[in-house]
Amino acid sequence: MTHTRPPRPLPPWWTPLLLVAIGPLVLPAHGRPDEPDRPIDFAAEIRPILSDSCVQCHGPDAAQRAAGLRLDTAEGALADLGGYAAIVPGSPDESELYLRIAEEVADFRMPPPDSGKSLSADQIELIRRWIAQGAPWEEHWAFSPPRRPPLPTVDDIRWVRNPIDAFVLAPLERDGIAPSAEADRATLIRRASLDVIGLPPTPAEVRAFLDDDRPDAYEHLIDRLLASPHYGERWGRRWLDNARYADSNGYSIDAPREIWLYRDWVIDAFNRDLPFDDFTIDQLAGDLRPDASITQLVATGFHRNTPINQEGGIDREQFRIESVIDRVNTTGSVWMGLTIGCAQCHDHKYDPISQQDYFRFFAFLNTADEPTIPVASPDDIARRDEVNRAIDDYLASIDRDPELLERQHAWEIGLDGAGRQKQSQEVREAFDFPFEKRPPGTNRVVFAAFIDQSDDPLVIPHRDAIAALKKDLPTIPTTMVVREQRTPRTTHFLIAGDFTRPGDPVEPNVPAVLPPLSQASDARPSRLDLARWLVDPDHPLTARVAVNRLWQAYFGRGIVETDEDFGTQGTPPSHPELLDWLAVEFVERGWSPKALHRLILTSATYRQSSRLRPDLAQIDPTNRRLARQNRLRLDAELIRDSALVASGLLTETVGGPSVFPPQPEGVMSLGQMNRSWVADTGPDRFRRGLYTFFWRATPHPLLVGFDAPDATFACTRRTRSNTPLQALMLLNDQAFYEFARALADRVLAEGPPDDAGKLDLAFRLALTRGPDPIEQDRLSTLLDQQRRLHSDPTDDDSTPSSEQAERAAWTAIARVLLNLDEFMTRE
Amino acid sequence: MNEIPPLLRSTRRHFFERCGIGLGSMALSSLLGDGPARASSAAEPGANPLAPRAGHHAPRAKNVIFLFMAGGPSQFELFDHKPALQRYNDQPIPPSYLEGKRFAFMDTFNKEPPKLLGTRRKFARHGESGAWVSECLPHTAKVVDDLTFLKSVWTEPVNHAPAKLFFNAGTTQFGRPSMGAWVTYGIGSEADDLPGFVVLQSGPRGPRGGAVLWGSGFLPTAYQGVPFRGGAEPILDLSRPPEVSEADQRAALNAIGDLNRHRLDATGDPEIATRIASYEMAFRMQSSAPELIDLAGESQATLDLYGIEPGAPSFASNCLLARRLVERGTRFVQLYHTNWDHHGGPTENLEDSLDTVCLDVDRACAALITDLKARGLLDDTLVIWGGEFGRTPMGEVRENTGRNHHPDAFTMWLAGGGVKPGLTFGASDEFGFSVAEDPIHVHDLQATILHLLGLDHTKLTYRFQGRDFRLTDVGGRVVRDILA
Repeated sequence: MTHTRPPRPLPPWWTPLLLVAIGPLVLPAHGRPDEPDRPIDFAAEIRPILSDSCVQCHGPDAAQRAAGLRLDTAEGALADLGGYAAIVPGSPDESELYLRIAEEVADFRMPPPDSGKSLSADQIELIRRWIAQGAPWEEHWAFSPPRRPPLPTVDDIRWVRNPIDAFVLAPLERDGIAPSAEADRATLIRRASLDVIGLPPTPAEVRAFLDDDRPDAYEHLIDRLLASPHYGERWGRRWLDNARYADSNGYSIDAPREIWLYRDWVIDAFNRDLPFDDFTIDQLAGDLRPDASITQLVATGFHRNTPINQEGGIDREQFRIESVIDRVNTTGSVWMGLTIGCAQCHDHKYDPISQQDYFRFFAFLNTADEPTIPVASPDDIARRDEVNRAIDDYLASIDRDPELLERQHAWEIGLDGAGRQKQSQEVREAFDFPFEKRPPGTNRVVFAAFIDQSDDPLVIPHRDAIAALKKDLPTIPTTMVVREQRTPRTTHFLIAGDFTRPGDPVEPNVPAVLPPLSQASDARPSRLDLARWLVDPDHPLTARVAVNRLWQAYFGRGIVETDEDFGTQGTPPSHPELLDWLAVEFVERGWSPKALHRLILTSATYRQSSRLRPDLAQIDPTNRRLARQNRLRLDAELIRDSALVASGLLTETVGGPSVFPPQPEGVMSLGQMNRSWVADTGPDRFRRGLYTFFWRATPHPLLVGFDAPDATFACTRRTRSNTPLQALMLLNDQAFYEFARALADRVLAEGPPDDAGKLDLAFRLALTRGPDPIEQDRLSTLLDQQRRLHSDPTDDDSTPSSEQAERAAWTAIARVLLNLDEFMTRE
Repeated sequence: MNEIPPLLRSTRRHFFERCGIGLGSMALSSLLGDGPARASSAAEPGANPLAPRAGHHAPRAKNVIFLFMAGGPSQFELFDHKPALQRYNDQPIPPSYLEGKRFAFMDTFNKEPPKLLGTRRKFARHGESGAWVSECLPHTAKVVDDLTFLKSVWTEPVNHAPAKLFFNAGTTQFGRPSMGAWVTYGIGSEADDLPGFVVLQSGPRGPRGGAVLWGSGFLPTAYQGVPFRGGAEPILDLSRPPEVSEADQRAALNAIGDLNRHRLDATGDPEIATRIASYEMAFRMQSSAPELIDLAGESQATLDLYGIEPGAPSFASNCLLARRLVERGTRFVQLYHTNWDHHGGPTENLEDSLDTVCLDVDRACAALITDLKARGLLDDTLVIWGGEFGRTPMGEVRENTGRNHHPDAFTMWLAGGGVKPGLTFGASDEFGFSVAEDPIHVHDLQATILHLLGLDHTKLTYRFQGRDFRLTDVGGRVVRDILA
């Protein structure tokens, strides 16, 4: 018995004709009222059933495949199984698949009861009709490269500002849904500012925007925001979630590490709009670039952000391999939206990725050394050498002084065991020579230690002189990078993913289901080849995954909701043509992130009001169809940043070592090492949240309390929780009280004399807009109440205590504003 | 002035009327077998994620108190009586035992064949059940008839942080939820004004691994454990700023509530209703949490039973807090006590260091059982005692007596909540090296704990990255023999 493969229809999003048929993709595929002749959509209606209920046992995993039947490929489903086939196109009653799912005797029915899965009558009927219609089969959409779809036609052409809007509007119009009106201008500037630079606008910026009567005032706003250095901070922080960036090693010891130069590289890359292909190559293989620059080396820190286990008695190779596993899985989810990690121990259960594929991919990332390098500019190096020479010269000018030498001798004799122990190795070696017999050259290091440590009054002026010289000493930071091994280690297939069970050696390669690697030479493929392959314009996943993440940031949910899983178990795209159009556009615009941002930000879709619409509550409760914007709670860092802007405290410095804003007592004691946290008192106290030093074992509570990731694995999508602990932090945390008081002081200093004017200013500083009468009234009531509470009737009005009462009353107003839902929400 | 109660009442009503469905009902439908929640991020807005809900079957226990003995207690000094070890004390262990085995400190530990170490602690059988307990734990020995000893527990990792993660999250990979997070995700919490999953810590240092041990992984952060701190403020930022009076705080909360309600009317976003409810619960926590930790209402007899010195944070006072938490409906309480890592160094040995840590915990553990029982809480509360792994039958060559980490066979005990009291289950071999009877993998224990709470470990799943994840990964089997 032979079967010809049924003609494969074009993927439906290629033609506007079929667009009509797949429009309802955004609705649940089953259970809809049905006309019997409707063509069944394989991708939307059948594959999810097969994938969920059949493929775990009848799928890509060769070791577990039951009855030799494979239902994740057309070949498998149509194969002759010895006189019968799972699917006989056109004949449900000859198709073993249909007969078994429709079987009445439970013991013979599929899926078997012990699988915990079952099919509904509707699902069985859908499959019957699909087979009857010829069982048309399509490849999984995400494994074919995106092609630019034609623009759909729409009626309300005036609403469309750019092609994005046509893709969103067309399906809405089909169902007679009107999009929402544009948000008001104050909302727009606050939304765009928070989204692009992560900071709310100042009242002056708002005023300027409201007064700008150019027709393209909004476009000017977007251009200004995209040019701000804070854009790199905002979007850099999102990328750092993928990179699992932290300032400590994690596990039990959680020692501090220095890798903030990588963080600054990310910020800078966004600010100079480094194209996403170069951005990718620098991070995955910057060290292998011809004539790699120091900047490109710093970029390889991406994969050095894995935790490091420094516990006593561990097998280092075990944890090295664990970090390579993490790098493989991270590369899979961050760039390709693939759950490649599922194939570490066995063939993937759902997607066509074998365990061999996994370890071939692993081999790319398994041949790197992991050094830490100093990063100094030539100027820094010259300056450092100069200072060291000056110190040497200074010491040389005094280290023959008999009086000083005598004092040095006395200092040495006075050192106890511990005092000698704490000296540097060099000094301890010099101690092996008795003072009298020590050559002057050898004595230099001891003399230097003596000048540095002794309390002798004679020494102090010299120490001060050296300290003055050291003032010019540049601090040369280090950073963690990846460097390819000279002799690459052999990668073995690990049986069951277990590092103690190496199997055959494997060579680096990419998963067979994806386009092959193109190589310049026959040499062993390298990480550089891998990185270039990822950003090949024909790669089916990279651009789609990247634009989907951008979309996710702007609307709270991706076009593919499972942004980290574009495989068969992921959710189907709500707007497949839009996704492909954006992906193609991204590549054709030279992978410019800013170009893509601008495109989305200037669309009518983005600019809609986020008000919930009762008319859509039933038909689109989760707003997949985007007939409005979404209200989104701000990310952890942005809540802090917004309060810093409102209060006027923000230190705007971009980059540099991580900082220590205040945090409640006792947080550090939850780690094994009980490290200290000394809050900064200078300008660093008021830096943006992304610069807060991140201890993995004891992260800052204001970050993790508001869903910042724990930095142990790649986080491509933060959750947004809403908890009483968050309320406690914003109400009571000393840092937030400090912000509230600063906001109050600002209002008292900058505001007009009358209360209403001051309230208006406070409201605008916190929420961008002015209060409505009800809000104004409620806050006035609170203000009066607070004044009564804080005034001391025995006092006359002119004393400083009434100033204090005034300050307390306005601080109460500020606290309320900084705790409002609207304050922590992007409308 | 004092206008908060009616306002809050209306908020509450509003919250439950408008938002009483959502994630809770979604998880429930997934629990009831309508198929797993499809999209991991589709938590419905406006739901109270910790609302109590039914599991898959009738529960035997409502709450869990997990006494986590961090560092890996030595079963050979406490529970697993091995005369053969004493007989062959100081003899090299037969090499066949070591083939293919991995230990911590491999480079030094295996330099020469390590020697068997017989305990110097005296053992006796106790109670009607005749359970073996050493002289180190005289108080525990008195309650053995209420305990279920598991002598055949085994795990996989040999290092502390990975093994702790494995015990809590069922895997050594980061990013998965911990057991307390799974449980509160599954059945919520009865506590109305306290967190559903609380972590308490005592001993010289925090547990190795830190926040990931009680993290929520890919589950919403509402399910992560809330570490309580010592001192007057158990929950972070619980107290008002010193500059703010109670009247100020009430006035502020009233205004926040009113303005948020105004915004809710304007936008229609149920997320704002949740925010209003969160502030309401935060307000209630400000009185319920201090009430919780205030032991003034406890009788002197109770304090003596636990061995609590008032004002001094200790494992004993944490045990009493655990009882007070489950009394108030907190679903999952985990106590970490360090340090049981007795390799044989000057401060980590099986001599005085072991004595110290046994003194820290013994009386309070027994008191907790006695107290729960006296109050009728033991039937509903599952108490778990154990560490991330056990220790080797061989000694280490260090300054003092000590043993290395050993995952292959170790002892734990359970009590209350649906397990058979007075039972000793499973056994290790003659030297205590491997399991001889009824192996209990950590996943089996996890499956059993979930089962007792009314949850089927194969059905308590969460879809993430295209896969339905569960606590027990791909393993786990309920240990039915120990169920009452």
